[in-house]
Amino acid sequence: MSASDPNKLISKADKLTRLSLTRWNADWKSATVLYEQAANGFRVARDYENAKIAYEKASKGQEMLASPWDAAKHLESAAALAKDLSNWQEVGDFYRRASELYMECGRPQPASDALAKGARALEDSKPEEAIQLYTDACTILEDDGREQMAFDLYRAATNVYIKLEKYTDAASFMLRLGLAADKCNATNSQCKAYLSAIVIYLYAHDFKQAQQCYNDCYQIDAFLRSDQNRCASKLLAAYTDGDVEEIKRIAQSSAISNLDHVVVLLEREAPTIDLSTHKVSLHSYNRSLDLYDKI
Amino acid sequence: MSVVDILFRVDAICHKYEKYDIDKQRELNAYGDDVFARLYAAVEDAIQTAFNKSEAASTEKNRATAAALNAEVRRTKGRLMDEIPKLRKLANKKKDQILKWMSVLDDFAFLHFALCLGSMLSLASNNGSKVLVAFQDDKIKYYHEQVKGLTKEDLAIRQDLVLALPERIQALPDGITGAAIQTSGWNANSSQPQIKFDSPEAPLDSAYFQQSEESSQFRQEYEMRRMKQDEGLDIISEGLDTLKNLASDMNEELDRQVPLMDEIDEKVDRAAADVRNTNVRLKKTLTEIRSSRNFCIDIILICVLLGILIALK
Repeated sequence: MSASDPNKLISKADKLTRLSLTRWNADWKSATVLYEQAANGFRVARDYENAKIAYEKASKGQEMLASPWDAAKHLESAAALAKDLSNWQEVGDFYRRASELYMECGRPQPASDALAKGARALEDSKPEEAIQLYTDACTILEDDGREQMAFDLYRAATNVYIKLEKYTDAASFMLRLGLAADKCNATNSQCKAYLSAIVIYLYAHDFKQAQQCYNDCYQIDAFLRSDQNRCASKLLAAYTDGDVEEIKRIAQSSAISNLDHVVVLLEREAPTIDLSTHKVSLHSYNRSLDLYDKI
Repeated sequence: MSVVDILFRVDAICHKYEKYDIDKQRELNAYGDDVFARLYAAVEDAIQTAFNKSEAASTEKNRATAAALNAEVRRTKGRLMDEIPKLRKLANKKKDQILKWMSVLDDFAFLHFALCLGSMLSLASNNGSKVLVAFQDDKIKYYHEQVKGLTKEDLAIRQDLVLALPERIQALPDGITGAAIQTSGWNANSSQPQIKFDSPEAPLDSAYFQQSEESSQFRQEYEMRRMKQDEGLDIISEGLDTLKNLASDMNEELDRQVPLMDEIDEKVDRAAADVRNTNVRLKKTLTEIRSSRNFCIDIILICVLLGILIALK
């Protein structure tokens, strides 16, 4: 098949859809068929730009034909091609539209999938956009009551946050993960999420916050009874003592190694940070406690 | 008849005719009159058995058995050392109180008989009587001494024997007194003499608790093995941690897939019902189309057509 054929198909389809004096109603059905064929032809010919455009038009046709499902599908293909073209803005737009169409069909699962795909595509180039997409995807799933699917999304979002060095956001995402896991009774994931949150706080030199987080999590039964709880308490004790060797040893332990690899990397790097600064903050913390006692 | 039965029978028979066993009677009665001698004989026997045991222990390959035998030897030694003061007391006795009377009675009877005989014989001949009298004198002197108690030599011998006993008992090898006796070992605490374990009365010499090469080697080996076991267990525990993690992740994943499977199940059921419906309808339609009535009509019409064609030709 030469490249001209898809072009011809495209022009024919365009003619079908363009309203003019001779044509009062656009013939979307045949046009869509032609668009799809053209898009396939372009893809085979590796003409991604034209293929993308063809897919866009095909999806529009499907919309007109009141089949949002097919429309969404076409948009996803278009978005994948846009990713190959590194056209990031379009990628985000396409995936969003696709997810909206999926929601129209009443299928939240594919909607969140589309958003997740978009987010993954945009992780490197536009991380904030990616995070936004991840958050929206998680929201969709939570509304649908399928939190379990959201675990992976939360983890991915946390990874992006850590890459951006936005540790508080990362930790809060982990806590959201813990909450979702709690609803599904997925205790292992929950405990891992809490432990990851504590580790992230510690890496961010926010010992107080880490301690607070630990206290909060301690209230939860499932965490209380888990290995991760013991590991967390050991870790916090090691930090209060400023014992670098102990921290290194705990980082090698299995409870930490089974967390997300990004968190593990953080934990392994953690002992190298200057503990003296954290000791200062600790002293201030203790002094504030003493003041309380005096009162 | 089994071997056990034979043995039992032999035992019964021996027991019945024990009194005809000369050796045994001699043994039993040998020192029957003498408490010291009996006790001494018992101690001798014990020493001999202990010695045999220690020999067996030294040749024994199995450490546990060797250790057990050594322990027995040590216990025996302790017991024997406790018996020694008794023996000493007995050795120093000149007169055997109880048996003295028995022997005196015996001797009196014999003496009486001898005197009667002598008198009878002296009546018979004058010369023989002198010898007899001399013989009687000797006998009387001998019995006199017997009645008096042990001879001085015997007494001395007995005391020597008793003195020699402790050394002999200590000399029994029991696995503790090994090669390195010269180096000073752990000085035993002898501040509480009342409390007695299986330990000899002689002061615990410095080499008593010295670890022999064997035992220190043994201990080392034990420590090494224990360390290796600990290492192995650590590795196993790590592996188990990984397994546990994997298993719980798999568990959660399966939990996640349960509702999806339910959905698939539902959808497939619906699709299957649709297909069945369609099949039924199709079958009905086909049977209707291919019903025999239509078939006959088709054949008749075909025949008519052929007829027309032939007619035209």
